[in-house]
Amino acid sequence: MAVEMRDTAPNRAVESPENAVASGILSVQIRKRFDAADPPKKDSFELDIAVELSPGITIVFGPSGAGKTTLLECIAGLLSPNFGRIAIENRVFFDRSLNVDMDVRKRGIGYVFQDLALFPHLSVEKNIEYGIRELNPALREEKSQTILESFRIPSLRHRKPNQISGGERQRVALARSLVTDPCLLLLDEPLAALDEATKSKIVEDLRIWSATHRIPILYVTHSREEVLALGDRVLKLEAGKIIAQGAPQEVI
Amino acid sequence: MDWQSLLLTIRLSAIVAAILFVIALPVAYWITYSRWRWKFLAEAAVGLPIVLPPTVLGFYLLVALGARSPLGHLWQSLTGHTLAFTFQGLVIGSIIYSLPFAVQPFAASFAAVDSRLIAASATLGASKRRTFREIILPLSKPGLVAGMALSFAHTMGEFGVVLMVGGNIPGVTRTVSIEVYDQVQALNYSAANITALVLLGISFSLLSLVYALNRRVFAGWLWK
Repeated sequence: MAVEMRDTAPNRAVESPENAVASGILSVQIRKRFDAADPPKKDSFELDIAVELSPGITIVFGPSGAGKTTLLECIAGLLSPNFGRIAIENRVFFDRSLNVDMDVRKRGIGYVFQDLALFPHLSVEKNIEYGIRELNPALREEKSQTILESFRIPSLRHRKPNQISGGERQRVALARSLVTDPCLLLLDEPLAALDEATKSKIVEDLRIWSATHRIPILYVTHSREEVLALGDRVLKLEAGKIIAQGAPQEVI
Repeated sequence: MDWQSLLLTIRLSAIVAAILFVIALPVAYWITYSRWRWKFLAEAAVGLPIVLPPTVLGFYLLVALGARSPLGHLWQSLTGHTLAFTFQGLVIGSIIYSLPFAVQPFAASFAAVDSRLIAASATLGASKRRTFREIILPLSKPGLVAGMALSFAHTMGEFGVVLMVGGNIPGVTRTVSIEVYDQVQALNYSAANITALVLLGISFSLLSLVYALNRRVFAGWLWK
């Protein structure tokens, strides 16, 4: 029975109110232009986004080349927009008019990359503790243990990423981002390579985590199934612009 | 076989490889990650010893290390003797001569590290220095070992620069490659053959190591 419960519900330590993390409304008003010669785009392209997102899961949906990843990279600070402003409440990450462009290292934003970007030479535990190195060892160990248990992966702590399954790697990548208590979580097609069963378990984990940690979560996908399973709301992007937004059933 | 020459050559190669490791790391990092528009000029300057005739490089080094140059003058005022035709002068010349053989494998291995890992490290709050130390360096181990092995092997086999900068002083600047030359000049072919075979064996072993690393033969050991 205990094992069955661990398989379907995250650990209580994550659900408890004293561990809950809250954040504000994410405001994004940006323009990012690529000329034909600029990597990574092969043709000229402009991302032009103006949106406000409250805590909860927002799906960013659209075809390849719509600008989904570019949007996430601008918010994370991996790319600098040409114009605009990005902020959560009064915390300004980027404001071209004020000449503010906060370093990616200081934004406190969780980012799960499409290919997960787990450090291949570090164990699962070292990967998870990478972002909380400044904490004292006891607290670091406690946070690491809690997140490992909440994602049901404590037995993997000494394994390397190439020694675990795709679903387990996905959980490690999520745990690594969440253990830092981010003010915002960005997920770039994190479940693209997984089978349906594994996908639905991780989707459930994410939903429960989102319910207790009220922060904005941007989840990029081009899968209709994920949109319907996960999203509180959907932004539909095409050619760098939002062409529709609202509840999943309305937009899809 | 002149063991004194062999030991001197190994000592020279080990010192040069060790110093090059320290110098080439920041140079390779800068070459890999700098967005400076004129970076190619620095890359060309570092790569010059690959294409320049050793006598040309040796000539300029001899002038640069001589008593009339600022460096040579400073050295002479500190130590009482010139840098040219000394072991220290040979070390400086060899460092410049072998620089691309360390920098290029280092830079190639840094460039091969997945940029997503570096971005992931940044989003997790790690400084550039920490990312370099904990992500880029460990993932570049094969390139680092290859660079060290190549710079060691290249220093072992150098001839022109050694002759121009160091001369042929037994026990001070006379390396194995110069010994082979001397033995051939003296028509002592059997001695030249033995010395050349030793140099060949060491060079072959080191190059085998480099190619084995490129083919990840030791991948398990390096990633432990």
